[in-house]
Amino acid sequence: MLAQVLVSSITAGAVYALIALGFVLIYKGTGVVHFGYGDQVTFGAYLVLIAQALIGLPFWPAVVVALVASVLLGALIYGGLMWPLRNASLLAQIIASLAMGTVLREFVRAYMGPSAWPFPFLLSPAPISVFGILVVPANLAIVGVSLGVLALLFLLFERTFHGKAIMAACDNRIGASLIGVQVSMVFLAIWILSSVLATVAGVLVAPLLTLSPDMGLIGIKGFTAAVLGGFNSLPGAVIGGIVLGVLEALAGTYVSSALKDMISYGILIAVVLVRPQGLLGVLAMKKV
Amino acid sequence: MFKRQVRWAMRVAAVGLLAAVPLWSSAASRADEPGVTDKTIKIGILGSLTGPLAVFGTGNLAGATIAFEEANAAGGINGRKLEWVSLDDESSPPKGIAAYKRLVDQDKVFAVFGPAASAVGQALVPTFKAGKTPTFISVFSTPAVTEPIIPNVFRTGPMNDRQQGIAIADYVLDHLKAKKVALVKQSDEYGKRGGESVTKRLTERKVSLVSDETFNISDTDFTAQLTRVIQTAPDVLIVYGYPNPSAIITRQAKQLGLKAMIMGANSAGSRKYPEIVGAAAAGTQNIVTLKVLPESNDPAAVKFRTTFEKHFPDLARQGRPDLGDVLGYGGAQVFVEALKRAGPQLTQAGFIKALESLKNYETALTLPTTFGPGIREGNQAAKVVEIQGDLSRKMLPEVVRATEGGTK
Repeated sequence: MLAQVLVSSITAGAVYALIALGFVLIYKGTGVVHFGYGDQVTFGAYLVLIAQALIGLPFWPAVVVALVASVLLGALIYGGLMWPLRNASLLAQIIASLAMGTVLREFVRAYMGPSAWPFPFLLSPAPISVFGILVVPANLAIVGVSLGVLALLFLLFERTFHGKAIMAACDNRIGASLIGVQVSMVFLAIWILSSVLATVAGVLVAPLLTLSPDMGLIGIKGFTAAVLGGFNSLPGAVIGGIVLGVLEALAGTYVSSALKDMISYGILIAVVLVRPQGLLGVLAMKKV
Repeated sequence: MFKRQVRWAMRVAAVGLLAAVPLWSSAASRADEPGVTDKTIKIGILGSLTGPLAVFGTGNLAGATIAFEEANAAGGINGRKLEWVSLDDESSPPKGIAAYKRLVDQDKVFAVFGPAASAVGQALVPTFKAGKTPTFISVFSTPAVTEPIIPNVFRTGPMNDRQQGIAIADYVLDHLKAKKVALVKQSDEYGKRGGESVTKRLTERKVSLVSDETFNISDTDFTAQLTRVIQTAPDVLIVYGYPNPSAIITRQAKQLGLKAMIMGANSAGSRKYPEIVGAAAAGTQNIVTLKVLPESNDPAAVKFRTTFEKHFPDLARQGRPDLGDVLGYGGAQVFVEALKRAGPQLTQAGFIKALESLKNYETALTLPTTFGPGIREGNQAAKVVEIQGDLSRKMLPEVVRATEGGTK
């Protein structure tokens, strides 16, 4: 029983990880904590439905249209919201991101209705038995994609010139622009990338979590996973997600399924108290 | 300061007198009856049209709009046309209280149709009690508004969550002949109340649950609970929760190899529910507080669908009309019938008497309504839906009741 619970909890953890990656990407790249990210993930999945309903496309072409639309959405978020607010306080930017999430959520509620929509699984939801443990291919896809996205982003940030430029732009805007980095283009790229990532996550998790306007609540778990992982570390986000999923499952199995949120978040508080930089985070110190 | 207040009060009194004069001359007998003129009756419609509770508020409004327009097209109510004001409580109990007070004090409506969400209704209980405006509820199911009764508050359509629990427990024992029953319930007010009612009824009938599990509404992984349930090998698993977690539970239960029949509450009664669950929904059952399913070929359902789609093409695109729309429509038809029975000398007290006179009043799509002095829960029965292999829904012939003596 424990093995089955652990295997299933890794799926839940991978969902948190995928969303945590988005939080960390935006934070690392632009310094903003995007509290509307959960709603943006939901909106990404709805984009597929809208493309299907509006243009009458079959599923896969609709996914492609949704990905293209999310590029535009990312550009719109930066051009219409974050660029005008570039000199505003961080708090104003965070509130703006929260407001944007609400706009997206209430738009889908008004336009696509308040109740849930069916959303197809990309892989079979029928389980396969591996050494007596039931494994669901559709869930494995989420774990795989989370790791894949992690690997891609990690390579981008740590191994390419552009990634280094992004980090430089985020660390020191004026300094980066002095040495020829176009900071606004870097930020634009981050918002587009995170918007596409939101749609990928939305398409993967929608069939699992049931797509409705309030699916974005999962953003809180993603945020928690990101905090657990240190908030500025991409591998930390994935580990944070898996740890949160496993913690919840263990608390639900051995203590109480009603109290599992209390227990897992209690542990989270403890971790943050003991290790404010998170599991894999690097403590940011200002040298004077 | 004091002088100014007196002057202000006198001015208000003067305006009041001036306003009252025409009322005395034209409608002497109804001078103090809010919302009623010689030509019109003003109704307030209250519901959550935006926010997380909007599922049923829009149905409440759409159903009422269709029923009221039909009543007006058929000549109105004893020579008067219905007029209505709709307010949105934005899924917020405080805003619901403010909106209800505005309808009563400012818009001076004759009666309120709504609200449309349990959380808002529960918060309004003191306000209901403090006033005498007849209030008619058609879509939400918390027992708080009918147990104990409030003289001016009526509900028909959904039976309340306590009664649903009783009906489900009886059905599982009497029709499904279950010996081993398991329960998975949501940890909030809704799941707790319904789940406790199931447990209490089973205990009364000398059956104890083989497994009693709880989940939180935002949970996404139910392996721990379901693994424990499966170990007890139940015949029936009752899932008491909102549609989204219920859908995930049904899917994961099948993935983990649960053999038991899954039985759900009214909240799983949406048209799209089988598709949302997917193949795992086949063979599951849930209770639904309707006489006819909105998607069926019954002539009354076809007629309602056609009217609805013409009126609300935007909602029709979203897979409506659904449970909430039909409940809103059926409730509004009962409401209109009582307005007619209240006669030409329409008063709020007379309307309440007329509602109390309804006995087994049938509408085309919803279950019969019976009110009376001391009876404010108009419908205390439900039917059972079985989801077929092709994910269509089939209404079973049984009627389950929340009264003593079990199913009939």
